[in-house]
Amino acid sequence: MPRKRDLSADEVGIDIHDDDSDSDDGATRRRANRRQAKGGARARKAASEDEEDEEAVAPRTRRAAKKPVKKDEEDDESEDEGPKKKKRGGATNRKKGGKSRDSEEDSDVEKGRKGKKGGGKKGGKEEEESKSKKGDAKGKDKKKKKKAESSSDSSSSSDEDEESLSEGEMALLMEEVEEKKKLIANIRNKPWRMKRRLTHLKEAQEFVDKFEGALGKGKGRKWYAYKVMMTKKWIKFQRDFENFRTACIPWERKIKEVESHFGSSVASYFIFLRWMYGMNLVLFGFTFGLVVIPEVLMGLPYGSIPRKTVPRAEQATAQDYSVLLDFNGYCKYSVLFYGYYNSQRTIGLLKFRLPLAYLMVGIGTFGYSLMVVIRTMAKNADLGGGDGEDGEFTFGWKMFTSWDYLIGNAETADNKYASITTSFKESIVDEQENQKDENIHLRRFLRVLANVLITCSLGGSGYLIYFVVKRSQDFANRDDLSWYEKNELEIIMSLLGLLCPPLFETIAELEDYHPRIALKWQLGRIFALLLGNLYTFLFALFDEVNSKLEEEQSIKNASILAMKEYYANYTRLVNDTEATPPPMSPADVIRGPCWETAVGIEFVKLTVSDIQVTYLTILIGDFARAVIVRFLNYCWCWDLEAGFPSYGEFDISGNVLGLVFNQGMIWMGAFYAPGLVGINVLRLLTSMYYQCWAVMATNVPHERVFKASKSNNFYMGLLLLILFLSLLPVVYTIMTLSPSFDCGPFSGKAKMFDVIIETIDLDLPAFIGTLFSYVANPGLIIPAVLLMVLAIYYLNSVSEAYKNSNLDLKKKMQMARDEEKNRRNNTDSTNQVMKDLEDLLPNRSLAPPAPPPEPEKTSDAKPTKTKPGTAGKGVHLQKDMSLASSNPTPRGPITQAPRPRGPAPVSGPGRGRGRGAPRK
Amino acid sequence: MGSRASTLLREEEIEEIKKETGFSHSQITRLYSRFTSLDKGENGTLSREDFQRIPELAINPLGDRIINAFFPEGEDQVNFRGFMRTLAHFRPIEDSEKNKNPAASEPLNSRTNKLLFAFRLYDLDRDDKISRDELLQVLRMMVGVNISDEQLGSIADRTIQEADTNGDNSISFTEFIKVLEKVDVEQKMSIRFLH
Repeated sequence: MPRKRDLSADEVGIDIHDDDSDSDDGATRRRANRRQAKGGARARKAASEDEEDEEAVAPRTRRAAKKPVKKDEEDDESEDEGPKKKKRGGATNRKKGGKSRDSEEDSDVEKGRKGKKGGGKKGGKEEEESKSKKGDAKGKDKKKKKKAESSSDSSSSSDEDEESLSEGEMALLMEEVEEKKKLIANIRNKPWRMKRRLTHLKEAQEFVDKFEGALGKGKGRKWYAYKVMMTKKWIKFQRDFENFRTACIPWERKIKEVESHFGSSVASYFIFLRWMYGMNLVLFGFTFGLVVIPEVLMGLPYGSIPRKTVPRAEQATAQDYSVLLDFNGYCKYSVLFYGYYNSQRTIGLLKFRLPLAYLMVGIGTFGYSLMVVIRTMAKNADLGGGDGEDGEFTFGWKMFTSWDYLIGNAETADNKYASITTSFKESIVDEQENQKDENIHLRRFLRVLANVLITCSLGGSGYLIYFVVKRSQDFANRDDLSWYEKNELEIIMSLLGLLCPPLFETIAELEDYHPRIALKWQLGRIFALLLGNLYTFLFALFDEVNSKLEEEQSIKNASILAMKEYYANYTRLVNDTEATPPPMSPADVIRGPCWETAVGIEFVKLTVSDIQVTYLTILIGDFARAVIVRFLNYCWCWDLEAGFPSYGEFDISGNVLGLVFNQGMIWMGAFYAPGLVGINVLRLLTSMYYQCWAVMATNVPHERVFKASKSNNFYMGLLLLILFLSLLPVVYTIMTLSPSFDCGPFSGKAKMFDVIIETIDLDLPAFIGTLFSYVANPGLIIPAVLLMVLAIYYLNSVSEAYKNSNLDLKKKMQMARDEEKNRRNNTDSTNQVMKDLEDLLPNRSLAPPAPPPEPEKTSDAKPTKTKPGTAGKGVHLQKDMSLASSNPTPRGPITQAPRPRGPAPVSGPGRGRGRGAPRK
Repeated sequence: MGSRASTLLREEEIEEIKKETGFSHSQITRLYSRFTSLDKGENGTLSREDFQRIPELAINPLGDRIINAFFPEGEDQVNFRGFMRTLAHFRPIEDSEKNKNPAASEPLNSRTNKLLFAFRLYDLDRDDKISRDELLQVLRMMVGVNISDEQLGSIADRTIQEADTNGDNSISFTEFIKVLEKVDVEQKMSIRFLH
């Protein structure tokens, strides 16, 4: 036991020990780790968070494992006293040695104790005396000492020092635990209210639970240690997971970059785009996983049956590029469209019920989208308000909390500068809007005029589409069509979508709304335009579908007749009743027009042309313009950048609506063209990168930068509306029209939803069928609907009431604040003459540091201009300073990297923090 | 366990720092090794230049102010004790500390002290008031030349007007607390020091 040597002399021993401690280190830790598995940690407080749980837990575990043994030893020893005393000293000594080896670094506390002890033992007699003095109390005393030792030991050696307790603290804690226990026992007798009792009880119980285990009393120290360990692990896991999730958010950096340069409004578009992408990815997963891939893998291959084969007449041109571009030829008879799917009830080894899956996915797409949109809306609504951005300390907050102290990258810092600047500007614009007051009648007149104009143009565009649709129906019967005549409808629709929004924007100038409100109006108007277009288009489509249905009916009859004839001939000639299908290649079979595929093709074509138009617009309208403005500027007679063409602004409203309508088309078309979802996913993915690049490279920030409303619930509302509107036609077709007889998964059925009935009848036990028939009973459905309506009404009124009370409270708070302010300010100067005098004084707002009383009062006098009666508005009325300078910095406010700031008092002379060239 | 650094650091010192700041033993040793790695002059103290080598501080518009906060008034060197004392402001508040007896002196990482630290960043002349000029300086640092002086001035005025309750045209510490009442300072002004 080399340790004995240490104890022989105070200082020397310590030194040696110190040297040893390092070498012991590894061994101890290893041992500790091994023991840790056994549990039984003598744990203390619940650690809030910990980086290295292992290390933190290890020493505790070790101590705990050792302690009981020690105690036992002591108890034995205290029993047989007398002659063994000497030995006992040695034993303690040894023990001590053993323990001190465990300790990793010695604290002076322990040193002192050790020294004392060692000395005492050396002294022999003296030590014996002291021992005997302790007498009967020895056991207890010793124990305590040991505990103290171990705890002081821990405080020096362990890694979680702040968790270790000194002897006093321990005793205190123990006492407290006892107290709480007593409280729990006596809580019935306390003369408190029930609520208070309950809270106290809960607190006390929690406390006892927490610390009882820590003190090594009560039930299950092991359990406690285990719990602590697991909590730590769990917390760590959660944190890692959270980090992982943050890292997984796609395009976060890209969007932040855009946000810092263009403000939150432009970023809100990209966030919306990202959200859409996520939703579409899920839809894509459903459609491809449950419909497309099973059909490809397990269904019949191409060319096996008529619906999966290009007809003979079309085969010559089926691979032509122009035909494929129109989604005819091979495209039409591919897995992309409804017609390709077979009506076989089950396919493959797994007996996958494809028709059922098809219908379910079609409905599920809508169900999922509805759920997601509504959930996001609810979450957004929840999010608003909690931010404390109630206009109370807008500037104060911006001033004190806007910098992100974790930025360590020069480029990001530039972005942050830009975004801080932008956010200040946003606030300034907001303030400006608040201050405005001018000729209200003129304003009203202009607004009415603008609305009339816009209504006119909406009507005009509606009529135009109607006209084109009529014409296209005429064209449908002719064969000698030029390219334009064939695509007239799509071209006109795209053109209208392209030309009308700028027109509206120009008209909206008349109205002079705050940009945020103007954006909403603009959105609403374009929405109406696109909606009109879409629905006109739909009606045209319905006409087509109806004519196709008639055609189909005749073909169906004819083909059935032909079949019958064939069979009749066959049996007559061969005299065999066995029906063999006619020896016909699938390409030659007469088939119906398959209106579902036709509808699907229309939607896909529309989507693709929409993508083309959008991308070309960006390429020409933004990129080409930017290039021209940039490079022709060197040799032009006026300043192109500041003058007429200038750079484009990012058109938020147009882009958002484009996205929303695109999504509407996807929802409508996805049922008839499963491949459409895939196309859309691709589109969103590319447009994310493409538009991010375009906006950074070619656009300038808005002239009037403004903050997007807190939540983009407005976008979501539009999306919900579109979702509902696109749900209608699809559900209508599913419920009323009969599917084509020779194509698609529902062929041969009277209605599409017969698939469900069939499944219920054939695959599910009989009682479920009866159950369904009960549920479908109108007697049950009508009361259910009524109940739901009532519930909606009730919940709505409740939320309304809450909202009102919330508003009231907010107002009250504001009032109280203002009143307090006014009261304080008004006390000082009510003297009108003085006030007038002070008003004449120059630079009143710059309160000089130590002026004579008069200027001191100026600052007080100013706010008194507030009319006392208008406390609620007080703050706004006080704004006699103009936040907006008369000549606001023109446009492109942040195209310039921030220069080294002005002579800051302490800063090193212009260290040039804003680095990096202007990004253009 | 940072044993290399700890050999340079005396046990008594660690104990004292522990008591003063509430850091744990291993945190102290860890921070000590960080301290020594920052200390390019290797004289046991840090100078302003040492701090400015940290990129986060170099970029920060308020970086100089933060660096200043490390130095006692009139000195341009800070030793490990001072370093730790400043860092202690950023120690997270632990659950266990919340329900400790309030009679004990307030630890450095309390909400008030955290806020006071932030307040000092703005209060240059240490008169316990943030004046309009001081705000203007900060604003200039944060937005640079992108906003006209006039507008900056009115932003500063507006900020003061929002926060000022006693009408002295400057923001006192109590007013500052009020402004940041809803900010989760306990969480935002905390650094997770490794244990």
